[in-house]
Parts: sequence; C-alpha cells; structure tokens
Amino acid sequence: MLTFAIKRIMQSVVVLFVMSLIVFSMINLIGDPVDMLVNPESLPEEIERVRQDFGLDQPVHIQYWKFLTGAMSGDLGNSFIFGRPALTLIIERFPATLELATFALFIAITVGLPLGIYAGLNPDGWGARIIMGGSVLGISIPTFWLGLMMIIVFSVVLGWLPVSGRGETANFLGIESSIFTLDGLRHLIMPAINLALFKISVVIRLARAGVEEVMALDFIKFARARGLSSQRIVRSHLLPNILIPIITVLAIEFGTLIAFATVTESVFAWPGLGKLVIDAIVNLDRPIVVAYLLFVVTLFLVLNLIVDIIYAALDPRVRLQGDVL
Amino acid sequence: MKKIQANPVIKENNGKFTKAILKNLKQPATLVSGVLLLLIALCAIFAPLIAPTNPYDLAIVSIMDGRLAPGERMFDGTIAWLGTDGAGRDVLSAIIYGLRTSLTVALCSALIALTIGLLVGMTAAFFGGRVDAFLMRIVDIQLSFPAILVALVLLAVLGKGIDKVIIALAIVQWAIYARTVRASAIVERRKEYIEAANCLGLSSFRIIWKHLLPNSISPLIVLATLQTAHSISIEATLSFLGVGVPITEPSLGSLIANGFDYILSGAYWITFFPGIMLLATVAAINIFGDHLRVLLNPRLSK
Repeated sequence: MLTFAIKRIMQSVVVLFVMSLIVFSMINLIGDPVDMLVNPESLPEEIERVRQDFGLDQPVHIQYWKFLTGAMSGDLGNSFIFGRPALTLIIERFPATLELATFALFIAITVGLPLGIYAGLNPDGWGARIIMGGSVLGISIPTFWLGLMMIIVFSVVLGWLPVSGRGETANFLGIESSIFTLDGLRHLIMPAINLALFKISVVIRLARAGVEEVMALDFIKFARARGLSSQRIVRSHLLPNILIPIITVLAIEFGTLIAFATVTESVFAWPGLGKLVIDAIVNLDRPIVVAYLLFVVTLFLVLNLIVDIIYAALDPRVRLQGDVL
Repeated sequence: MKKIQANPVIKENNGKFTKAILKNLKQPATLVSGVLLLLIALCAIFAPLIAPTNPYDLAIVSIMDGRLAPGERMFDGTIAWLGTDGAGRDVLSAIIYGLRTSLTVALCSALIALTIGLLVGMTAAFFGGRVDAFLMRIVDIQLSFPAILVALVLLAVLGKGIDKVIIALAIVQWAIYARTVRASAIVERRKEYIEAANCLGLSSFRIIWKHLLPNSISPLIVLATLQTAHSISIEATLSFLGVGVPITEPSLGSLIANGFDYILSGAYWITFFPGIMLLATVAAINIFGDHLRVLLNPRLSK
C-alpha cells in the first residue's frame, strides 16, 4: 500500500514538472508582454529597461531555470499588471472560488441525489422521464448563457437578486465566507446555482445508474424477502452502496467545478481565480497565467492522488494492476 | 466465424447501423431530435439563401436599426423577426450565419481529433505492451484535466481565429477518441478473424485498416456524435470568454457575448435567441446520440 502511494506521488511530481515545462514554453510563445506594458510612444531605451527589469532579455532556458528555482521556494514571479507576487494574488482570490465551488457542489448533491434515486427506483414512471429529460437539458444548456438568462430574469425583470460581485463576508469559526451574511448569500446563490446545474445532471445520472445496478443484486432481493420496508432498503442497503462511487467521481469533478468557475465568474463578475486568469490571458500577464495553471494542475493531481489511494485502499486489484510505467 | 473477403465487415456493420437508426426513429424523442438536426444542418449549409439579410455586409447594416425589438421593421422595410443587435444587424440572420461558424468549427475539429485518435488508439491496441502503456498514460493525464481548461490555455497561446479554435478543440478531443478506439479494438483483436488474417500474412496496416477498424467503429460513431455537441458548447464558451472566434465572423457564442453588454438595458433578444439556437443544437445532438448509444450497445438494448 505504501509503495503504491509513493509511486503515485512520484508520478504526480513528474507530471507537475513536465507540465511546468510545457506551460512555461507555451506561454513564452504568446506575444511580447513588453508591448502591452509600455506606452507605445516610449523611447527604445525605456522599452529595453522594462525588458531588463522583468528579466525578459535573457534566453528562454535561463528564464525557465530562474522560474523553476523560484517556484521551488514558492515564488512564481510578479504579476506584470499588479506588480505583486503572482502566487499571493492566486491565494488571495482562491477562497472566493473555493466558496463558490463548494456551495455549487453542495447544491448538486442535495438536489441531484434524491432526483437520481427516485428516477432509478421508478424507471418507467412519468417522474423519471421528466427528471431524465431535465438532465439532458441540464447537460446541453450552455452555462454562461443560462447565467445571463438568470441575470435577466432575477435581477433585471424581478429585481430580486444583485447582478454581480461578491457580497459582505463574515467570519465564523475562523472561516471567512459570504454564506454567513444575508447580503453574501444573496450574491452567492445565483452563481452557485448556475455552476451547479451541470453537476446536478451528472449526479442524477450517476445516482440513477447506481440504483439500477444495485437494485438488481441479490442482497436487495434477500432484504425484500426478509420483509424489510422499501424505505429501510433504500436507506440502509441501497444508499451506502451507491454513495461510494458517486463520492469518488465528485471528488474528481470538484476540480472541474473550479475550472468551470472561470465561466461563471466571468458572467457574474465574481472576484475569484477564474476572473483573474481570464483577465490575465487578455492582458498577456504571463506570471499569473503560469501560476494559475500550476496551481490548478497541483490541485488536480492532489485530488486524483487522493481518489487513487482511497481506491487502492478499498480494492486490492487496483494496486496489483498499476504497475505499468 | 468471419470470412476474410475484400470487405465483409463493413457491410455487416452498415446494416446494423442503418437498422439502429430506423428502429430509433420510431421513438418520438429521437424523431424530433433527428428532424431538428436535419433542419439545423440545412440552415447552416444554405445560410446565404435562407437568411433575410447578410449580417456582414456593411453596406446593408445600418446603425439606425440598432437594438430594434423582435418584430419591428428595419429602416429598409424588412421585418426583424428576432430584433436587431447594437450595430443594427438582424439577429435572425446573424444566428443563421453564426450556426454555420459553430458547426464548421465543431465538425472540423471532430474530424481532426478522430483521425489522431484513430491512429493513436489503433497503434496502442495493435502493438500493445510498452507502446500501449505509454500512449494510454498520456491519454489518462490529458483526460484528467477538464476540456475547457486545456482549450483555454491553448487559445491563450495560439491567439484568436477560427483555425486556432479548431486546432485547440482537436487537441482537446483526440485523447477521448484514442481511448475509445483502443478499448474496442483490443476486444476485436483477440477474435479469430484477426488471427486468421495474421496467418494469411496480411500486413499490419491492412489488418488494422480493413478488419480491425470497421469492426470497432460503432462505439466511435456514438462518441463522435456526443463529442460534437460537447465541442459546440466549448467553442461557444471560449468565444463568450473572448478567446474564441474573432468578432468579424461570430459564432453563436460570440453573438451571445455581444449581447452581454445589453442585458441590463433590457435588450434581452440579442442574447436570448442565439442561446436558444445553441441549446436546441446541442440538446438535439445529445438526445440523438444517447439513443444511438443505447441501440448500438448490445448490452443496453435487450
């Protein structure tokens, strides 16, 4: 078990290193950031000075080496636009994104799971058809467009909810979050539902598939034969068996929620990571883009690693299989 | 037992496929989505003939017609059924042209990704061993990152433009094709007719191309359908974020982005209608693909 974990961690480190190389060399192909930073009328000497200040006059491999040694000590360079450490900016913005993604995941589970289980238990009923039809719609509907429509309906026409931004935050048990204030919740609810919608559909599908699979198994038949009530069967025999795969999938999906938050944050002007990186891409703010990518890649690798290790702990077959490369 | 003729397998598969579609069409959801798809495709192909005006002809577009509500009459007398945008373009015409861009991008990228995926997947399945392990490791790593993120990074590097979006979407998608091709080809490879072909001394290329490929194609068709819907969505999202197709040749996504600036002033139609078109297209493909999957999978269709 320990060897498996160590092997996977080593693999993740290699992937991270390769990613940093790919990301860094690709980012260097984007136009010259100096053009964006200086006044177009400035003298050639000034432009040269800016270039030297940012270390952009050196060869690419030296820039990469500097970046790599810096990265080891947590320094990913200063943002060209904000003039502050990129990693600090990322870490400052992360709580807002984390809050949005967590709340969205919470919505996805509380809404999706009951609907999916219902559809799985009554596969031929009208309810199930409507739920499954709704889930196709949920997967097909473009997130950003739905966000705009929500703004039109709830903010412009009905005037119930604020259009954009993050509301007041409050500190509770050491966690600074907007779910503890009414204003914060009013700002959070629309982006969170918007982000959750796709995941609700995913949870519905997973739950339904799980229910259909488990309900056909022998131990359910035995439970029935023992005369247990349907409620009891669902609660103590069905649920524990379908939850494990759903939770594993959701752990990985949490990473995609953070990635997709880019879109939702752009629509609702939510001051999170996604907004930061989109602005950075448009402004050619290289250090931010690189820092964001490494941050997200690390996040993904950690999530995948945790899931893999849990899997291996639960299922010995995985440990024996994973010997390639 | 399969015989090794020139092309026995293709025929067999085509029959299965047509039958599946015909059987499928009897269900109302599939029929509706199929017809809708056909209409959408026709609209996109014959855009210049169908659209009431040419939204890119600067001689016709007039700022005087800016932000007309749906059904109002434009300056030159034509009725703007779905309203006009801020620059005075007819929204209906823009949607029809935008659909064309969206579909072109999705189909071209699907084709490139499919080709790469086929090559990689077949290579992995046919040679096995280290080649297989290495290729599939790359696929795994790529698939562990969400498509939208990979596409965003690629476009940040490549810059704007239809060709660049197509390249980015192809790179995003090849891995999933490669994995599917490999999975179904590995199952086929163990069957006797491949062994027989090997004994006859056919070349690897010929075995892969003429025998392995046609037999592992049906899951690929389903995947390609669903992936096309997915890539239409991603392209729209990218264009909305401002890193996709340029505004000079807008797709449905850039039309929606264009309307973003007007929603607070109540001009909902500039974002609403292109979005409905996008939703209809993606949903129709998804529903059609879903049914296709059920029918082509012997394990699911009893």
